[in-house]
Amino acid sequence: MKPFQYLRPKTIREAISMAAEDPDARYIAGGTNLIDLMKRGIVSPSKLIDINHLPLKKIEHKGDRIHIGALALNSEVAQNKLVTVRQPLLVKALLAGASGQLRNMATVGGNLLQRTRCSYFYDTALPCNKREPGSGCSAKEGINRTHAIFFYGNETPSCIAVHPSDMCVALAALDTAVVVTGPNGERRLMMKDLHRLSTAQPELDTYLAPGELITSIEVLDNVFDKHNHYLKVRDRASYAFALVSVAAALRMEEGKIWDARVALGGVAHKPWRYWAIELMLKGKEPSEALFREVADHELKSATASGQNAFKIKMTSNAIVAALKTAAGIS
Amino acid sequence: MANDHPDDQKDDMHDPAHEDRRFFLKQSVAFAGLSLAAPHWPLAGTDPDDVPIGNAEKVKLSLTINGAKKRLTVDPRMTLLDVLRENLGLNGTKKGCDFGQCGACTVHVNGQRTLSCLTFAVMQHSRKVETVESLAKGKVLHPLQEAFIKHDGFQCGYCTPGQLMSAVSCIREGQAGSAQEVREYMSGNLCRCGAYPNIVDAILEVKSKGLKV
Amino acid sequence: MEKRIFDNPADPSLDRVDGRVKVTGKATYSAEYAVPNLAHAVLVTSTIAKGVITGIDAEKANSAPGVLAVISHLNAPKVPGWGSAAQPAERAPIGTSFRVFYDHFVYFDGQPVAMVVADTHERAVYAASLLKITYQSEKHRTHFEANVQQAIVPLNVQRNKTSPFADYDRGEKGQVEAHIEAEYTIPTQHHQPMEPHAIVAVWEAEDKLTVYDKNQGVKSAQGQLAQAFKIPRENVRVIAKYIGGAFGSGIRVWPHTIAAVLAAKHVGRPVKLVLGREQMFTSVGYRPYTVQKLTIGASKNGKLTSITHEGIGQTSAYEEHLERTILASRSLYACPHVSTRYRLLSLDVNTPTWMRGPGDATGMFALESAMDEMAFALNIDPLDFRIKNYAELDQERNLPWSAKSLKECYVLGAEKFGWKNRKLEPKSMQKDGVLVGYGMASSLYGFHRHPSKARAVMQADGSVIVQSATMDIGPGTGTAMTRIAAKVLGIHAKMVRFDLGDSALPDAPGQNGSSTIPSVGSAVHDVCVALRDRLIEMAFEMPGFATKEKSQVVVRNGQVLASMADTNGVSFGDILKHHHRNELEISAESKSGPERDQYSMYSFGCHFVEVEVSPFTGEVHVTRVVTCADVGTIINYKTARSQSIGGIVGGIGMALMEESAMDHRYGRYVTSDFSSYHIPVHADIPPIEVYYIDKPDVHVNPIGSKGLGEIAIVGVAAAVANAVFHATGKRIRQLPITPDKLI
Repeated sequence: MKPFQYLRPKTIREAISMAAEDPDARYIAGGTNLIDLMKRGIVSPSKLIDINHLPLKKIEHKGDRIHIGALALNSEVAQNKLVTVRQPLLVKALLAGASGQLRNMATVGGNLLQRTRCSYFYDTALPCNKREPGSGCSAKEGINRTHAIFFYGNETPSCIAVHPSDMCVALAALDTAVVVTGPNGERRLMMKDLHRLSTAQPELDTYLAPGELITSIEVLDNVFDKHNHYLKVRDRASYAFALVSVAAALRMEEGKIWDARVALGGVAHKPWRYWAIELMLKGKEPSEALFREVADHELKSATASGQNAFKIKMTSNAIVAALKTAAGIS
Repeated sequence: MANDHPDDQKDDMHDPAHEDRRFFLKQSVAFAGLSLAAPHWPLAGTDPDDVPIGNAEKVKLSLTINGAKKRLTVDPRMTLLDVLRENLGLNGTKKGCDFGQCGACTVHVNGQRTLSCLTFAVMQHSRKVETVESLAKGKVLHPLQEAFIKHDGFQCGYCTPGQLMSAVSCIREGQAGSAQEVREYMSGNLCRCGAYPNIVDAILEVKSKGLKV
Repeated sequence: MEKRIFDNPADPSLDRVDGRVKVTGKATYSAEYAVPNLAHAVLVTSTIAKGVITGIDAEKANSAPGVLAVISHLNAPKVPGWGSAAQPAERAPIGTSFRVFYDHFVYFDGQPVAMVVADTHERAVYAASLLKITYQSEKHRTHFEANVQQAIVPLNVQRNKTSPFADYDRGEKGQVEAHIEAEYTIPTQHHQPMEPHAIVAVWEAEDKLTVYDKNQGVKSAQGQLAQAFKIPRENVRVIAKYIGGAFGSGIRVWPHTIAAVLAAKHVGRPVKLVLGREQMFTSVGYRPYTVQKLTIGASKNGKLTSITHEGIGQTSAYEEHLERTILASRSLYACPHVSTRYRLLSLDVNTPTWMRGPGDATGMFALESAMDEMAFALNIDPLDFRIKNYAELDQERNLPWSAKSLKECYVLGAEKFGWKNRKLEPKSMQKDGVLVGYGMASSLYGFHRHPSKARAVMQADGSVIVQSATMDIGPGTGTAMTRIAAKVLGIHAKMVRFDLGDSALPDAPGQNGSSTIPSVGSAVHDVCVALRDRLIEMAFEMPGFATKEKSQVVVRNGQVLASMADTNGVSFGDILKHHHRNELEISAESKSGPERDQYSMYSFGCHFVEVEVSPFTGEVHVTRVVTCADVGTIINYKTARSQSIGGIVGGIGMALMEESAMDHRYGRYVTSDFSSYHIPVHADIPPIEVYYIDKPDVHVNPIGSKGLGEIAIVGVAAAVANAVFHATGKRIRQLPITPDKLI
């Protein structure tokens, strides 16, 4: 690991000015992904700006939403009464991720910014467009069992890696804004506008500007607390990244679906909100047949790269299973 | 491979869903007046109890390790794990993978179970760290240590310190209500010898006896 | 020897004798020896699979802070045991162990090509990242299926026609009324013990070496190091008292060990090297990728008439690694006609090695899956099918078994599991929307006993120190040996201290092939018997004893007693005191006799597994396991049970998730950590019930005990695969059984 200067700002403003000073500086919060990347020589910051002591941990309900500070730990969010009562889907997703220890370390902001777990990205001996733009994507014709099946439009993806987060899948399904602060002030991004697809600049995972700092997220109140499910399909029973995951939330009244949210993990370069399904479910009576019909709809546009062909059927099955559980039908 | 709804996942399009507007109508404010004045981070001369200070290869910090305050000068690249093992001779905490994927390095930081391989020691400045060496009080073993011996919750012993520190947290966090719950909440601690069922038995016994952990 | 000699209500199992040091974090593993002036080494490995190193630019690395040396084939000290110093023009012929930093040839991806030594670990790691190594690549072959046509009869077999791996045919094919033929594949799998391999190498003098090295055999490591560095054996000391798991990865002395010893010589300081987890994929062997074809014929009434078992295993381009893959098919079942073929395929990979249940875990996955397929084809219960074809003698060697209680295992296991509730038809059992399946498989593992020595030293206080250069990679060697010593000497286990893991102790084999209890256990038994007899003789030289009847004498509670009824004997301490001795030392060697030619010796067992399979996601959860083994005498039930459980856990990993995937375009592993190479976690493992027949095998050794470590895993993968078939109707012949294969 390259030597770095360790910095500990006292205020958000100080942190941002530190970052603005040096394009090779990086913020560090939980460190559970960044330190991993630094050990492998994938990221070599000149300065490490430790933001853990900034006042960004608060979880509170104001108006029509929960505000969650970017430094709130995954475990704190999962245990917080406001969240467990109002956003159980988020709690389920958080608890499906990582391990007790990692959830005690990883922050909300860091989870949003965690990088793909594609093996080629982590192996500096092999080509990877995300690590070294222009070097090529080893996964496309390589070991790609865990890779993406959804891409944007007709462009050829320069990277077929998937976003690894569980939390983000729930946040994508729910209506979430990400609040960021940078040299030019504060702005809000919708969850869907935070992460990038992989077409032009695969080295960039998000639309954050250099030096911008995520300070909080806001999750809008909803009526999905009774009918929701996070289904994670993986190679072992716990402590593994998703092959496919589904965050499903329904608002049901009088036996009918009034509103629906479905987002997928493990299938795209970003958490994949399944908008089409949501429209198709509205006003319908829940049934396995309906769920299968809507699940298969967008999967027609899925593209396998070889070893991950199974993900198309698995995604469809997982959507059906998640919706059935959310709807409470067996 | 086309996404039928380009608006949906693409980011530079205007928002398709009504919820977005709920956000932006109410909340669009700029963080005005942010100063870009010269940085003023500490480089030297500050109290080490306040902020770790030093250069790129040597930083002074203090840690409370197993109840004793330690003042150390470390390379900021050193993980908490390496400081424990290499600088402090506390070899009970194990290096299994060094990438946060096995749990052998689990310690408690301010009472919370933490992977010591995935945090730089400087980041833990002024915090309280407890390692497996803190569990026994003199010759009296911690109830979980006793239970691990009784139920043979290990073979080679290498994952054991991490399993124990995690087990303490598992009970303290209230996640030891059933065998299934213990298995889920202990899944961050790998054991290649396969002592899992015995570890679960040990944890459940300590939990069911209501012993203080 | 009576039944349940060790574990009975009056004499319950010992807790692990090293339990306290292990739970308090005080057990010292290889990397943890605090040696003064220690330097830190980092291994740099090749990024091509075949070719030559054309340049090593070490300028930046050498000038990085704290760097003591950059070592490679360009400047490494010579290893005298490797002969001439000249740069060879040709690649080493097959049969040559890899020689680290010897020449510019690259034989596999991940090969050690350089080492950076610095004053701190952080500095060594950083300097290693500054090293620029250039290669000239040659076309490599790593893809098994693409090259399988080049598999050959192993050279080892070509040279040695009596090799057990030679082509084997027996008997005539009987009437084949039912027939199955299937191909089974197991991928490369890695041991990945929790403790990475590590060494602290210390040159005490020009010709005197001490290493604290993670390995499974201090004596063989001592011999190999002495040979390599051409120094007297007694000048090499290898210490490995605590080993954080190995499962076979520590049987050999690997290149990294030599590299660290070379580095210590080069920098003139003690050197510590700890392998990174990713280096554990190319530095210490693995269970080889193996493809097997099984053809089974049977009569309609379920009698086997023919078994043909062909196996092709992967090996490196420089060494042959042979394992027992096809051997079980010759012995496990009664069958008139058996043919086996064993081939090796050399690829540009590092050499495989023995991994828990070597060969048999691989071969029995195929055989026991095929038996299940045959039972299904015959519409017979898979357990009944096995019992119908029970082998009452070893048809391969035409010898009686030394002992075999496999039938009792079947009956006991089936009863405890509730096998009778199994419906014959696949996909016929469901619970709460998930598919339920029951599967079983048999298990066997050959008996191994090697000559072993032990020393027992009675102390003035009546306690005893027993020593042997055996190992404990986890099974609880010290605990079992303590038990044997205490039992023979009639003393409390607390009065016994057992020393191991040091090459300065009496000769013992490494811990492999489930041979420790049979070999070292016998030596400990014999030396303690000798010590006991010597104490009795000495007692008879004391006043008051001479008149007693020697045949009536017993030892109990640390005393020699004139008879069972006697309550007031003479204590061991008093015997020593009377003879003016501070201690009494006895050594013994123990080895096999002619019984090896009179009996066929195996451990046997069987596993019963229940799985639940999600019809939506294809995820398999093992929900219940019952395992039953016949391994002769159980020395310490508590630790034995743990060993059996560990084997089941390993088998579940093998069955459901373990696969080292290589990208053959580069010949490089893509799985390089615990995030990509999955091993089971807590949540994967259900309660596991363990039963033993616990009858001594009187023919194998004085303690009647056979090996347990390997048999614990052999057959487990097949039992899981068979349960998955029963749950889903899908036969998965290529491990691991991941969800994608079932949806």
